[in-house]
Amino acid sequence: MGKPEETDPLIPHPNPVSKPPNGTEWPTPGVPSPPTDGQALLTSILTKTAQNIIDVSAADSVVMEQHEIMDKARQYSTKLAMLSTSLPQKKALTLPSLTSQPHQVLASDLVPYSDVQQVSKIAAYAYSAISQIKVDAKEELVVQFAIP
Amino acid sequence: TAALTAGLERIPDQVGYLVISEDGVLAQSAGELENDEHTAGVMMQMVRTACRFRLSGSTDAPFKRMSILEDFVYVVTISGQKVFVVKRQNNQHEPVNV
Repeated sequence: MGKPEETDPLIPHPNPVSKPPNGTEWPTPGVPSPPTDGQALLTSILTKTAQNIIDVSAADSVVMEQHEIMDKARQYSTKLAMLSTSLPQKKALTLPSLTSQPHQVLASDLVPYSDVQQVSKIAAYAYSAISQIKVDAKEELVVQFAIP
Repeated sequence: TAALTAGLERIPDQVGYLVISEDGVLAQSAGELENDEHTAGVMMQMVRTACRFRLSGSTDAPFKRMSILEDFVYVVTISGQKVFVVKRQNNQHEPVNV
């Protein structure tokens, strides 16, 4: 059995009219090989589609007894608990603590204007430098090899 | 939390503050930032981004306080899984030559 996928049913269907793996078709007894004429071809496509589509509105509502529902719920929880330990945990979005004295840090003197000016100037220089980066094409990328 | 906000109230020339929990929920707010969830959201994004910077050779976040300067200054820090934002008057201006 391969690695469980997201779409695999948690609990195998008790009465499997099982689908073949990889989506190939079971050979359906009584249905001849694909008909060649247009109308029959259309009919066969419609038949196959009807077999593959589940019409939820048309299905009779399933009457399940209370204990059956509880049993199923318990089965699902157990199965889910087994799987959740093997799934990778979501990375924690924890913020680092920058200080143990937030009031002091927030109340401290503001950044001096001269510092702000200097940083702005440096950032402007950096921006200008980056915008001047360009490719200097020297040779052809594609060359012909001469076979002697 | 009373101790938290009392300290923030006393910050010189503050006109408002926010206390935001780790998951982005606005825990406290006052003054010009009262109920300002939009600003809280923006601040959270900015501070999370800033926390990802590293100075070479260091594993810690490279700053204690983040300042956003406009007519006012927003000073931001993180302590004990809470983000603090205080809006203060900006007393740093271009010097006037007389």
